[in-house]
Amino acid sequence: MEKPLLQCVDVSVGFERPVLEHVNFEIGHGEIVALLGGSGCGKTTLLRTLGGLVPPISGDVFLFGESIYELSSEQRDQMRKRLGIAFQQDALFSSMTIEENVALPLIELTQLPPDLVREMVRMRLTLVGIEGLARRQPANVSGGQRKRAALARASILDPEIIFCDEPTAGLDPVVAAEIDATLVRFRNVLGSTIIVVSHELESIRATADRAIMLAHGRVAATGTIDELMRSHDRTVYEFFHARTG
Amino acid sequence: MSAVATAIERHGKTAIVRVRGDVVIPTSRALHSTLKGLQKRRDVKNVILDFTDAGRLDSAGIAVVEIARRSLQRSGKQLELDKLDERHRAAFELAPAATAERLPPEEGPSWLESIGGHLLAIRMTMHELVGLITESARQTIAVAAGRRKLPAGSVANHVLLMGANAVFIVGLLCFLIGMTMAFQGVVQLERFGAGVFVADMIGWSMVREFAPLITAIILTGRTGAAIAAELGTMRVNLEIDALTAMGINPVRFLVVPRLTALTFALPALTLMGMFIGIVAGNLVTSLMIDMSPITFWAHVKERVTLGDFAYGLGKSFVFAAIIGFSGSHLGMRADGDASSVGRATTKTVVVSVFFIIVVDAIFATVSSITGAH
Repeated sequence: MEKPLLQCVDVSVGFERPVLEHVNFEIGHGEIVALLGGSGCGKTTLLRTLGGLVPPISGDVFLFGESIYELSSEQRDQMRKRLGIAFQQDALFSSMTIEENVALPLIELTQLPPDLVREMVRMRLTLVGIEGLARRQPANVSGGQRKRAALARASILDPEIIFCDEPTAGLDPVVAAEIDATLVRFRNVLGSTIIVVSHELESIRATADRAIMLAHGRVAATGTIDELMRSHDRTVYEFFHARTG
Repeated sequence: MSAVATAIERHGKTAIVRVRGDVVIPTSRALHSTLKGLQKRRDVKNVILDFTDAGRLDSAGIAVVEIARRSLQRSGKQLELDKLDERHRAAFELAPAATAERLPPEEGPSWLESIGGHLLAIRMTMHELVGLITESARQTIAVAAGRRKLPAGSVANHVLLMGANAVFIVGLLCFLIGMTMAFQGVVQLERFGAGVFVADMIGWSMVREFAPLITAIILTGRTGAAIAAELGTMRVNLEIDALTAMGINPVRFLVVPRLTALTFALPALTLMGMFIGIVAGNLVTSLMIDMSPITFWAHVKERVTLGDFAYGLGKSFVFAAIIGFSGSHLGMRADGDASSVGRATTKTVVVSVFFIIVVDAIFATVSSITGAH
C-alpha cells in the first residue's frame, strides 16, 4: 500500500493555552483536502504546523515519510522546496514587483538561467490570470490579484504539497471560482497535493475531495463533502446547514 | 528523478533531439543549452523533440520548450514535438500562453509624463502639508478654547516618551560637545594668551547654536522617526481611516498631542543641554588652565544675555514644529504597505535634518544682518 504523503500523528499545539489537541489524520498523493471549522478552531495554526512553521508541543508531523520537526535546519530547508504555502494575508514583498515576488524562489533556490526563470514566471502568471500585472507592486493591485500572485509564488517550484490559507476569502464569486479552478488545475497538471483552509462552502464543494473538520481544537469529522453534509453530528450539521436551517 | 540526457540525430536540415530522463527544475539546463545551440546553427531548419524516452516534465521543462519554440520561430525555423504521452500533454497545460492571447505588458510613463507626475506629486505634497498645518492650528485653537479636548493623558504620555526618556542621551551628547569645544578652544586661544575667553566661546555657542541644533537632531532620529513609524503603521492598518469613519478628527486625536508634547519637550531638553554643555566646558577649563568656576561663570554671565537664550529657545520651537510636522505629514501619507512605513521614517529624518539646518542658517544670517547678536 502506498504510504501517505502527510501524516499528522497525535499533534497538540499550544501557546498560552492549547489550540489543537491530539489531532490525527493522513493525506495521500494528489488529494485536495479542505480543513474546515468555525473561526478560532485552529485551522490556520494546524496548516502552519503541517507546513513546518509552528512546532507541536506533542505529537509529530510526517511529510514524505519523514518527521519535519526532527530534521536538521538544512534538511528542513530542502524539504520546504517540495512545499508551497500561500498565506491568508498573501505575504507578498511590498518592495518587489509581482514578477519579482514570483521569481524569488527560483532565483534563490535553483540554478536556472534568467531567461528560463522569466519564462516560468510568465507562464505561471498567465496560468493564474495576472500576466498583465507582472510589473506592478503588490500595493497597486486588488486583493484578488494579490491572492493569485501569492498562489503563483507558492506553486512556482511545482511543489508536491501546496498549503493555501483561505485562498478565496473576501473575493467575489467570479474570482473565487477562478482561484478554485486554478487549484484543481495544479492538482491535475502538477500532481500536487493541496491542503486548503476555507470557510467558503461553495469553494470547498468545487475543489475538495475530502474535508477534515475541526472543532474546539480537535478533529470533529472527516470524510467527503457529501458525507459531512449528511452527518448528524451536531457541530458538523450546524456548520453545513447554518444558513439553510 | 533521472538526469536529462539528449542525443541529436541529423537528417539533412532536420535535427532530431531525443530527450531521455526527467526535464524538471534541477535538470532542465541541459536541454535548454542543447536547444539554444541548435537555434544558432544555420544548417538546421527544423528541430524535432522526441519524447519517447522522456520522463517527467515540470514547469521548467515546459518553459524550456516554450522558449525554444519562440526563438526558433524568430529565426525562421520550426520546432515539432513528437511522441508525447498523456503525462507530457497534461504538463503542457502549464503553458496556456501557447493558445491564449498574450497580454501586452503595461507601458511606463514617458519622460514628459514623469516630469509632470513629479510636479503634480510635489504640488499635492505641499497642499497636504499646508492642510495639515492649518488643521493642526484650527484643532489646537479649538482645544485651547475648550471647544474640543485631547485624548486623556496623551500629551503627558508623549512628553514622557519624547522628553524624559531622551534626557540621558541629550545630556550626554551636550556634555561631550561642551567638553570637545573646551579642549579645542583652550588649545587655540592659549596660543594668543586668550585662554580665559574660552568661557565666552562655550557659553555663547552652546546657548545660541550647539544645544538647539544637537538636541533637534537627536530628537529627529528618536522622536520624528517614531512619529512617522507610528502614524504610518496606523495608516497601513486602516486605524486612521477608522478614526475618520467614526467622526473623530485624526489630526486632533493623533497629531496635536504629539506636536504639543514636542513643543514642550524640545525647548526643555535644549535648555538642559545648554547648561550641561557649559558645565562640561567649566570642568575642562578648570583642569586644563586652572580657571576657577567663579571666573568661568562670570565670563559666561557677561557674554551670554537673556536675548541669547531667547534666540536659542526660539529656534528650538521652530525645530520642534519641523520635526513634528515632518513626522506627522509623512507618516500619515504612508500608502498602504509595510515598506511605505520604512520610507516615511527615513524621509522624516532626512527632511527634518535638512530643514533644521536650513532654518538654522536663516536664523544665523538674519541675526547677523540685523545685528541681533
